[in-house]
Amino acid sequence: MLFDLKSIRKTYGRITALNDLSVVAPLGAVGLLGPNGAGKTTMIRTLLGLIRIDSGEGEVLGINIRRKPLQVRQIVGFVPEDECLFPGVEGVEFVAYAGELSGMGRTDALQRAHEVLDYVGLGEARYRKVDSYSTGMKQRLKIASAIVHDPKLVILDEPTNGMDPAGRIEVLELARDLCKNKGMSLLFSSHLLVDVEAVCDHVLVLGRGRLLAEGTIAELTRSERPIFEVRVKGDLADFSNRLARQGCTFEELDGVLHVELPDGRSQELLWSTASDAGEQIRMLKPLRNTLEEVFFKAVSELA
Amino acid sequence: MPIFDQGYQHWQGAISGHGLRWLAITRQGVRQQLRRRRTKWLVSVAFVPAFMLAAFLVLWGLIEQNSTILQPIMGLLQSLPEEIRSGPKSYRTAIWTWAFNTLFDVSQFFVMLLVLAVGPDLISQDLRFNAIPLYLSRPIRRIDYYLGKLGVIGFFLAAVAIAPAVAAYVLGLAFSFDLGVLKDTWHLLVGSVAYGAIMVVSAGTLMLAISSLSRNSRLVGATWVGLWIMSNVTAGVLMTSVKQEWCPLFSYTTNFDRLRDELLDMPAAREKFLGLWKSGQNAAQEAVRPRFPFFRGRGRRPPPLSAGQTPPMLTTPVHLRFPLIWSVEVLGGLFVLSAWTLSTRVKSLDRLK
Repeated sequence: MLFDLKSIRKTYGRITALNDLSVVAPLGAVGLLGPNGAGKTTMIRTLLGLIRIDSGEGEVLGINIRRKPLQVRQIVGFVPEDECLFPGVEGVEFVAYAGELSGMGRTDALQRAHEVLDYVGLGEARYRKVDSYSTGMKQRLKIASAIVHDPKLVILDEPTNGMDPAGRIEVLELARDLCKNKGMSLLFSSHLLVDVEAVCDHVLVLGRGRLLAEGTIAELTRSERPIFEVRVKGDLADFSNRLARQGCTFEELDGVLHVELPDGRSQELLWSTASDAGEQIRMLKPLRNTLEEVFFKAVSELA
Repeated sequence: MPIFDQGYQHWQGAISGHGLRWLAITRQGVRQQLRRRRTKWLVSVAFVPAFMLAAFLVLWGLIEQNSTILQPIMGLLQSLPEEIRSGPKSYRTAIWTWAFNTLFDVSQFFVMLLVLAVGPDLISQDLRFNAIPLYLSRPIRRIDYYLGKLGVIGFFLAAVAIAPAVAAYVLGLAFSFDLGVLKDTWHLLVGSVAYGAIMVVSAGTLMLAISSLSRNSRLVGATWVGLWIMSNVTAGVLMTSVKQEWCPLFSYTTNFDRLRDELLDMPAAREKFLGLWKSGQNAAQEAVRPRFPFFRGRGRRPPPLSAGQTPPMLTTPVHLRFPLIWSVEVLGGLFVLSAWTLSTRVKSLDRLK
């Protein structure tokens, strides 16, 4: 388990940022979605033990966020959305400083800074002042400083904001590599659903401080009833009429049928209908919702 | 650009405890400041008074021993009062006290300048570049952040005020060849360290508080200079117009002077010199002449003294004639105000974005 929040409530005056939020996230890459004001930042700060919650309990990798916030931050690396870089410091110095703040000795921190800068692809720019870095380089520098102490969980807050396509892809590859090959868990907060889909296996959708939807991307994008996309070589109208007689409901979109099978029937029905009609099925695949649809559905239900 | 070509190794090294985590902030701040030429230059100049103190204490140690090394300047030493020449050890405490007081009097100027050079960027830069989350998302607390920043100012102030005083003390002790010096002057060592520590904490927290008020470091620097100069001017104006005992309290640095006067026991030193003066009107006239290097105002002959009139150098300065507790209260109040300002300006991340 990556983290476990139980009935977390946090208010700022009249504003309720987290409203009895309970969520259990598995190890791995977890996407955090939600519209502005959904409570994503408050949830991240709660996980880091940076805020005093009104009620509820929570653990990150088995460590209590209320009682041991420093221990939580010791095993978590955080990549903030803001730039957070002060000028006049070399890249390697900046990352080493982050290591020292996490309790590493000066020599260890410097050595480790060189390693992680090589890893994120900033080896050549390590002695350049951070203020001369491009947006993409600054983002990778922030990731380097977040992983310098080898955390078990890395929290990325809008890591691809304001980046050019090439830089964005590099950051996404980096995040994926950290999770898939380096054994780190990620909490990836982003407005760009395609980025979340590219990196994460599991998604949490927040809205008004509550959990609106959660699950693996595969589960969330699967339709409640099986719908298939079908394309045939011959007469689509005849084929669809035959399907209707079998109890199927369908919709045609640009020469492709979206067919919903009747209860208790499998896709075998499509093959047999095509066989009866003497049709060739050229494409047959289950229809999946996009993450965007899942997101909008969850948010609209809240509204 | 190819990335990941070096791979990634997990790290299993030692992690220090949380207690001294603030030291990382101090180390980084000191490293950054030492890269600036103006800071290095200022620190070098600030060492000059300390060298002079050390040289003076060594000279005094040799005078006490009647060392033959002093043969070339024996003529100059003849101008010292007979009481001092015949029994220098009995004036040891007073002389050392006067010397340390003079050191701190001079170094106070450099302390204020150093705070001006080092302090403005400390918090205002973090506010300007939104770098506070960089610290607070790490395993450090807000108090560690303050301590780390205060440590930067503390390092430089200690380097130009406390460390030279301690080094000069040790040097003077070494050249005296007399452990009795320790017994006579230990209070100076303790007083110097305490005075330095008070200056570090007071000036440090005040500068941090001012630094937290603006994202513009130049404005912070100007505020510090304004506070330093305007408080002195205000106190001076009030002293000449209102002429009340409390008027000097308006000067930030006078409060340090008052504290130092007590910590180094300057009244006792003045009393000792006063006794020397009282031993005879003629001898006293000699005692306050400019040829004694340890009296201020050298270069001009003091006006003739009428019977019963005490030389100004041997009395408590007018601007320090108020109860010590007042200065303690002023400096304490400023500290509380600074701490409150810091706690409200450098907020935790427990707030809405």
